[in-house]
Amino acid sequence: MAEFLQYSITGVTVGMIYALIGLSFALIWKSSGVANLALGGLVLIFSWIFYAMLVQVGLPLWLSLIVVLILALAFGWLIERFCLRPLIAQPILSLITVTLGLEFFLEGLAVFIWPEMVAGLPPLFPIEPLKIGPAVVSQAYVWAAVISLILFGILTLYFRYHKMGIAMRATADDQLAVQACGIPVTSIFSTSWMLACVVSAIAGILISSISGLTHGLVETGLKAFSVVILGGLDSFIGCIVAGPIIGLAENLGSGWLTPIVGWGGLKDVIPFIIIIVVLFIKPYGLFGEVRIERI
Amino acid sequence: MLRLNNIEVTYLNVIRVLHGVSLEVADGAIIALLGANGAGKTTTLQAISGLLHTVEGEVTDGSIEWDGERTDKRSAQDISKLGIVQALEGRRVFGHLTAEENLMVGAHHRSRAAAREDLEMVYHYFPRLKDVRHNTGGYLSGGEQQMLVIGRAMMAAPKLMMLDEPSLGLAPMLVEEIYEIINRFNSEQKTSVLLVEQNVRIALSISHYGYIMENGRAVLDGTAEFLSNNEDVKEFYMGLSAVGKKKSYRAIKHYKRRKRWL
Ligand SMILES: Nc1ncnc2c1ncn2[C@@H]1O[C@H](COP(=O)(O)OP(=O)(O)O)[C@@H](O)[C@H]1O
Ligand SMILES: [Mg+2]
Repeated sequence: MAEFLQYSITGVTVGMIYALIGLSFALIWKSSGVANLALGGLVLIFSWIFYAMLVQVGLPLWLSLIVVLILALAFGWLIERFCLRPLIAQPILSLITVTLGLEFFLEGLAVFIWPEMVAGLPPLFPIEPLKIGPAVVSQAYVWAAVISLILFGILTLYFRYHKMGIAMRATADDQLAVQACGIPVTSIFSTSWMLACVVSAIAGILISSISGLTHGLVETGLKAFSVVILGGLDSFIGCIVAGPIIGLAENLGSGWLTPIVGWGGLKDVIPFIIIIVVLFIKPYGLFGEVRIERI
Repeated sequence: MLRLNNIEVTYLNVIRVLHGVSLEVADGAIIALLGANGAGKTTTLQAISGLLHTVEGEVTDGSIEWDGERTDKRSAQDISKLGIVQALEGRRVFGHLTAEENLMVGAHHRSRAAAREDLEMVYHYFPRLKDVRHNTGGYLSGGEQQMLVIGRAMMAAPKLMMLDEPSLGLAPMLVEEIYEIINRFNSEQKTSVLLVEQNVRIALSISHYGYIMENGRAVLDGTAEFLSNNEDVKEFYMGLSAVGKKKSYRAIKHYKRRKRWL
């Protein structure tokens, strides 16, 4: 029982970080309809940059954070300006292909700059573990979950009430009509890329504070795709619900169920079984926006 | 005051669709731009609002002036800041936004307080929108969507509001209602209106002056009264023809009349 609880808690909290990466995907999808396939690469590169600032350069924690966030903003702006904007009005597939190219570029770049492949971050959060009932959980998990929830709250409010957030949703519906309101859609796209990069960077830092830095962070980034497909691509609430579901399935699968069933592959399959079942019942995902068709 | 001097518009560098259109919108006036499908009305509006750049069109000759300043090379954003707003053809609401959010997007460049005030103003002109303000735009009725699109344009506090076929696909009663509101908005707020329509009768009922476009040219213009009484306009655009003439004869006359304009 204690074990079950333990795996559930870590699963849910790690799932919150997946949710955050999913959020980064949804931000861009929502405003421009582009599927950002570079999520893994973004999470990877920002985590390593953070490591470089904190450990290799030796900056204090707060300064490293600020540097990474500023770089993330700059990077998001650059990606939109130089990779995507030249392709505006091209078929959406070419835009998506560019993000795939970016993914490979970022992975290569990370290997090139940090060939050591594996590194550890000094602890960012207090190290005394927390006791939750019979389970013992490291504080890093709890903090990661709390920070994810806060970010989720901020972004939700931003999209609901801030005029830029509303304009971003409007852009998803009708780009020409947004321009007719005097809002350049390019500014919307670059804002969404900047936000998405910041969210990816924070997710990367949180995940590497828990499980260390490897180049396998790319795969963590890819988990976000399961999250957004399950949650419904454009839905924030979908991410924050689907993330923990995926995390939970994975952790219970690997830690708790595998010894019982005796098949190691179970862990990787469970999330996909869940996704397939959910998509059968709800084709737009758990909270996906239903396409409006009036006759 | 808006002035178009003999503008030519070319799409994709090769397809020329306007061949020298000149028109004027005096401050506070309602001007109708009339013509059949494909005449170039929407293109003319897009040239004025700057949206032409985003649909790969360009003003290749002539000039557009707003209060004496040339605007034809400016971006849609800059032009909107001058107070020129275009409501797109075809009731293009933001389907997943609520009615009120739709309106707020129209006020993007204005202060929060000004936007709040104008929201009340729009609800004053369109009380129906107030009733449905929390409903999702995509699920509103056709009439409500058209009101929303016009209301969104009003939210920019425009000096010149351009409406592209606001009567399209709406029941006659609703068209009357919307037109009355446009008329009232114009006289109370002193906003000039450039009204594109195929529904010539209703458009002339509130306009002060009108232009008739055909094949990328303004072929006839005059006061609303002059146009309403013009035999050609009556016949080709209002579906009224002199009584007793045979149908086959009409076709020939049609041809001749067109010739006379060009
Ligand atoms: N983006 C475009 N590219 C090429 N041709 C266009 C484009 N938009 C409109 N046209 C052409 O320009 C002509 C005028 O169209 P439009 O201005 O939409 O007419 P109207 O609004 O009077 O119906 C039409 O022949 C149309 O096919
Ligand atoms: Mg048109």
